[in-house]
Amino acid sequence: MATLAQAPASDSTEEPVRTEAPRGRWRRHLPPYVAISPYYILFALFGAFPVFFSFYLSFHDWDGIGSMKFVGLRQYYWLLHDSVFWHSIVNTFEIWFMSTVPMLFLALVLAFLLHSQVRYSAAWRVAYFIPNVTSMVAMTIVFGSVFAQAGLANSLLKAVGVDGIGWLTSSLGIKSAISLMVIWRWVGYNALIFLAGLQAIPNELFEAARVDGASSRQVLFRVVVPQLRPVILFAIITSTIGGLQIFTESQVLFYSDDPGTAGGPGQEGMTIVLYLWQKSFNDLQFGYGAAMGWILFALIAVFAVINWRLVSGGDRDDRRGIPLLRKGGRNGR
Amino acid sequence: MPHRTMSRRRLLGASLGGAGAALLGLSGCGSASGSISAGTDHLTIWYWNGSLSDKLLTTSARGVPGASGLKVKGASIAGDYRGKLRTVMAARAYVPDLACLNSPIGDYFPDENEFVDLKDLGADAVEDDYLAWKWKSCISPAGRMIGFPLDAGPTALYYRRDLFEQAGLPTEPEEVAEATSTWEKYLQVGKTLKAKAPNHPYLVSQIAYVFRMALYQSPKQFVDADNRFIGDQEHVKRAWDLAVETYRQGLSARTLDGTPDFNSALSGGRIGTINNAVWYIGGLKDTAPRTSGQWRLTTMPDGPANYGGSYVGITRYCRDPEGAFAFLKWMLGPANQLKSYQEMSLFPTTPAVYSQPAMREPDPFFGGQIPVDVFGPAAKKAPVIFFSAYENTANTPVYQELTNVETLGKNPDKAWRDAMNAAERALAQRGVS
Repeated sequence: MATLAQAPASDSTEEPVRTEAPRGRWRRHLPPYVAISPYYILFALFGAFPVFFSFYLSFHDWDGIGSMKFVGLRQYYWLLHDSVFWHSIVNTFEIWFMSTVPMLFLALVLAFLLHSQVRYSAAWRVAYFIPNVTSMVAMTIVFGSVFAQAGLANSLLKAVGVDGIGWLTSSLGIKSAISLMVIWRWVGYNALIFLAGLQAIPNELFEAARVDGASSRQVLFRVVVPQLRPVILFAIITSTIGGLQIFTESQVLFYSDDPGTAGGPGQEGMTIVLYLWQKSFNDLQFGYGAAMGWILFALIAVFAVINWRLVSGGDRDDRRGIPLLRKGGRNGR
Repeated sequence: MPHRTMSRRRLLGASLGGAGAALLGLSGCGSASGSISAGTDHLTIWYWNGSLSDKLLTTSARGVPGASGLKVKGASIAGDYRGKLRTVMAARAYVPDLACLNSPIGDYFPDENEFVDLKDLGADAVEDDYLAWKWKSCISPAGRMIGFPLDAGPTALYYRRDLFEQAGLPTEPEEVAEATSTWEKYLQVGKTLKAKAPNHPYLVSQIAYVFRMALYQSPKQFVDADNRFIGDQEHVKRAWDLAVETYRQGLSARTLDGTPDFNSALSGGRIGTINNAVWYIGGLKDTAPRTSGQWRLTTMPDGPANYGGSYVGITRYCRDPEGAFAFLKWMLGPANQLKSYQEMSLFPTTPAVYSQPAMREPDPFFGGQIPVDVFGPAAKKAPVIFFSAYENTANTPVYQELTNVETLGKNPDKAWRDAMNAAERALAQRGVS
């Protein structure tokens, strides 16, 4: 037992009065803790520290280099009186709603189709997932051409006899364009999540439905959707967390290196995170940006609580979830 | 068995200790001196691609001519240059000895002590070689010179000679300068151009350019050296009114820079003139190569201004400020500014070289016109301007409201009031009133 003999030498400086037994136990448990420590060390450095630092920062005025000035709750005060910030919250929720609702519906339909017997199903799955791993910046540049005044989207509209839309020059156009990009990127990802959920549904249910003469539509809405409820809730909450942090689409679409065009005309494409980024890294008001980050955290936390109540309520009463969900959606807007 | 356990533990402990030591080492070695070049035989200058001559940097990496034993190596920083520079300065580690600084240099005034005062190194001795307004722009409100002049951005009116001809307007640079000698006359020309040239080209791509250039012709901007908001005064309102008038007369193509709509309008002959700096030549050639030979240059309405241009600063972490300054005098002296112009199209801040034959090359893109004939006098006549650290904070709402006016049709009077309120609010938050 050479290890025990050496132990007092190394530990004695810290806690000299401790008895032998707990120290031995601690030493016995040390190796597993050491083994998993790299994760915690990295998390402490790059996860926990920035979180606490940003909280500290949100009570200060700091341009990133010079000395920090303590300003108390002033950043929060300015933020709550900042019309652009409120506008960005409204924009974010509008874009979130316009993208998430159609996206989850589309994903469900896609998953249902992929689950049925189609040829080359693996190839289809890969194809739907590819947008999710495409570089967002490259993709946004392509979409910039699609939504240009003389771009692909307006050409298509003209081909079917509809007047072109100011995709990047009107409130509805800007939000639709960003929502379409979000849908394009995330529909395949959510379809795969739904597909995994579908595959977990016992085959007997499908067979029973078929024996009873149910149509595909009836199978989708009467069998699949009720069975998938936990998976759908998971998809909704991840889409919410992602949706509240929409940033790149709007940033690249409107060449936000020029602060004068950030967020597009009327700042209709200004999202919370884009505003946070603009104030922090263009305007060098890091305290203000940190305060914005914490309000965003609070917003996401509210949604997480709504989700938690939906899930825990769902175990006891299947019907309780839906009205609550509707209420949550209304509150959010 | 015990032996094996021991060795495994020891391995684990050793690797963890190693990782810890590496982390400590990472933070420790930087804080010792703060300079990225500590312990090497050279100084390091950070630049972004295209801001310095690569050939001259190759020379200085072997040894700066005229300064024995001094080596300066360039490090090209890709991506968010300003963000990375500010990050190393905040960390006080791995800071370059010299750093290129893009305009507006006023961003760095609140942290001017990060830079060496070049006057302490005898900068005054070479002041006469440089453009006066550029030299003055290097000096902070406290009187410290934190940057050295790199390149200039004199402006000109770029116009399509072919479209002017088809509209029956004057075509040669001197005649066009006469016909557009004021912004009001310029708008008159724009009306004729739109009415008579084929496809009814617009005068400008967006009204923000009219505002920006008219404002840059004024020595006063949004915030003065005493941190007072002056953006609600006549010099800003006049620029705003000119921009709004351009919109009212339907002379703006209403396209944001760099968008596909802007690119297609420019190469398709839907935009007749551009008010921009000399560095836009490269962008114009890339965007609209098919229009080569049709463009000409002349003096901007109401006279020239400066838009953009960079600086080089020596950071407080530099172990050899005298050597760094000797490098600057060599690298940015008249002879090498001329070389940089030939190699990189960096417009010199040393006016003596404008008359050198190497700068007087005709450019076929401008139908054989010699660009420096327009940009040289413009650089000499540009006004002295003070840019405060809060300039962007104050002018951002104004540019946003100009976009709202022309793309959303917002009432210009309401837009002006909204812009002023937003600017004053944003400044009040930063302690400027």
